[in-house]
Amino acid sequence: MPATRPHILVHDLRIGWGSKVLMEHVSFEVERGTAFAILGGSGAGKSTLLRYLIGLERPTAGRIDIDRIGEPHLHQGTPPFGVLFQSGALFSSLTLAENLALPLTAWTPIRGATMRELVQAKLDLVGLASFGDHLPGEISGGMKKRAGIARAMMLEPDLLFFDEPSAGLDPISAVELDQLILTLKQDLGITVVIVTHELPSIFLVADQCIVLNRAANGIVARGDPRKLRDESEIPFVRGFFTRSSSGASSTQGA
Amino acid sequence: MSVEMRADLEGEHARLVPIGPFDLAHALGVVRAVEKAERHLDGCRSVDIDLAELEKIDGAGAVLLARLLDRFEAEGRRSRVVEGRGPEAARLIALYRGRGVGRPAARIRTMSALEQIGATAARLPATVTHALDFVGRFAIALPRAAVHPQSVDWPSLPRLAQEIGADALPVMSAASLLVGIIIGLLGVSQLGRFGAVVYIPELVVVAHFRELGPLVTAMVVAGRSGAGLASEIATMKVSDEIDALRAMGFDPMRWLVVPRCLALVVMVALLTWVGNVLALIGGFVATITMADMTPRAYLIGTEKAITASLLAGGLIKSPFLGLAIGLIACGQGLATQGGAAAVGARTTTAVVLAISGVLVIDALFTFFYALIGI
Repeated sequence: MPATRPHILVHDLRIGWGSKVLMEHVSFEVERGTAFAILGGSGAGKSTLLRYLIGLERPTAGRIDIDRIGEPHLHQGTPPFGVLFQSGALFSSLTLAENLALPLTAWTPIRGATMRELVQAKLDLVGLASFGDHLPGEISGGMKKRAGIARAMMLEPDLLFFDEPSAGLDPISAVELDQLILTLKQDLGITVVIVTHELPSIFLVADQCIVLNRAANGIVARGDPRKLRDESEIPFVRGFFTRSSSGASSTQGA
Repeated sequence: MSVEMRADLEGEHARLVPIGPFDLAHALGVVRAVEKAERHLDGCRSVDIDLAELEKIDGAGAVLLARLLDRFEAEGRRSRVVEGRGPEAARLIALYRGRGVGRPAARIRTMSALEQIGATAARLPATVTHALDFVGRFAIALPRAAVHPQSVDWPSLPRLAQEIGADALPVMSAASLLVGIIIGLLGVSQLGRFGAVVYIPELVVVAHFRELGPLVTAMVVAGRSGAGLASEIATMKVSDEIDALRAMGFDPMRWLVVPRCLALVVMVALLTWVGNVLALIGGFVATITMADMTPRAYLIGTEKAITASLLAGGLIKSPFLGLAIGLIACGQGLATQGGAAAVGARTTTAVVLAISGVLVIDALFTFFYALIGI
């Protein structure tokens, strides 16, 4: 389905506090149904940029435009997109099933058997079919993140944001999570924006990316991450992509 | 936009045609349409689901259609999905097919009142064992802390003393002053009937120094610091800070619990003493304003009433009350498991137990004093 408008349009965004500028002249577009990665080292402002994209912060200058929504806002009401926070951010006093049911009870009239069916289907989708009765404290970090994804998907958003989805996970859990994100994108047609610095994830999942750098106060490179790895002439970008992929690129690339 | 599911029947074969938007916003309509269509299918051996007239589908609609297909399979009907305008809808339904079949959907947890009583009773022995274990470990930690003073977080002691003692002064003073006034007024109204107002100073001293002073102080501290300490340690526990302490070779019992209990023991005693002074002032003010008694007479009466055993009887109790508050608050904090809700639950329990503990210990002391005759 060729999209006429980009799903997310960021134009000349400036991020900073007072006179301190963290990022400026940030512009990029995310096409509908693709996976877009925001890359950069620690402290480059990846997660900060994400906070602006999901409307937790207001930009001091520039424009963020999400298709069919406009400026991102998190006022009361049905949330316009799903967000997975770094820790999963599940409510610890509720079971996984109750966590997933929460958006449905809050924003839809769906109750009872239908609600249980929808909750169970999402738990199945993320591979947590038999964990609905567990509390978040009783499951592992990777499972919490998958449950967080399931909760973010309960209202069937066409746009999902992920903050460091594979950070702190073992390699196998990380690959499983990447596969799940790939499924969301390919089978459900969801647009995915993912903040990460995990190289295997980037090459497996992302169609396009931007690379942020603190010294440059913004974007230093953009494009297909595989091409950037092989063809970029900027030393920082080459270093970023080859730092740990130099030996493993043959198995992880493409 | 209405959601429908048309059922075309031809003998043993049926064709179901979903019409309209099959999405989350119309999920209730989808459920009704599916149920209605299913009722027409008696005797059908094979069913086609034709997606040609589907206006829109999302995960929720796909789940509901996938469950319908799952039911067909379970009933032994042949079923087929006919792709509509594109393969996406059929693919989406396939993604949710066969998931969760034969497994009960996750139950949204509920516990009846009877179950809750049973569960609490079943936990009781473990709770008691845990409490005794905690007291035992504290008893062992004390001499070890004395031998290895570097294993105790001494630098935190001034801060703890400030928070538990000094910061509690305003509320403590107000409470003691009022209790003194209340005792004084009680004396004026009751003893005054017998013309025995001269005994009011003694009443204030005996009632407050031995019984109410330590009790009121400990109750205020149990509410204030009991909650503060329990929630501080509980938050440390759920954010792995306690584990981090252990991993760095510290014993949380010595590092955290010993200085807190020590601060409470000293501060509850000091606050009790301050409270005694304020209660005397309260009794004094109430009596000389409401009864026919000169300030001088009141002061002389008070001076005669204060005896060493009376003062000691109250002040001896205070450290034990402080220790009980500290052990209960820290014990509850360290026993926390889970997340934010567990912190709240443990803090509540800590305050309830600390106040009950204070009352029980105070009653035991009173009983003991009565036995030995003071």
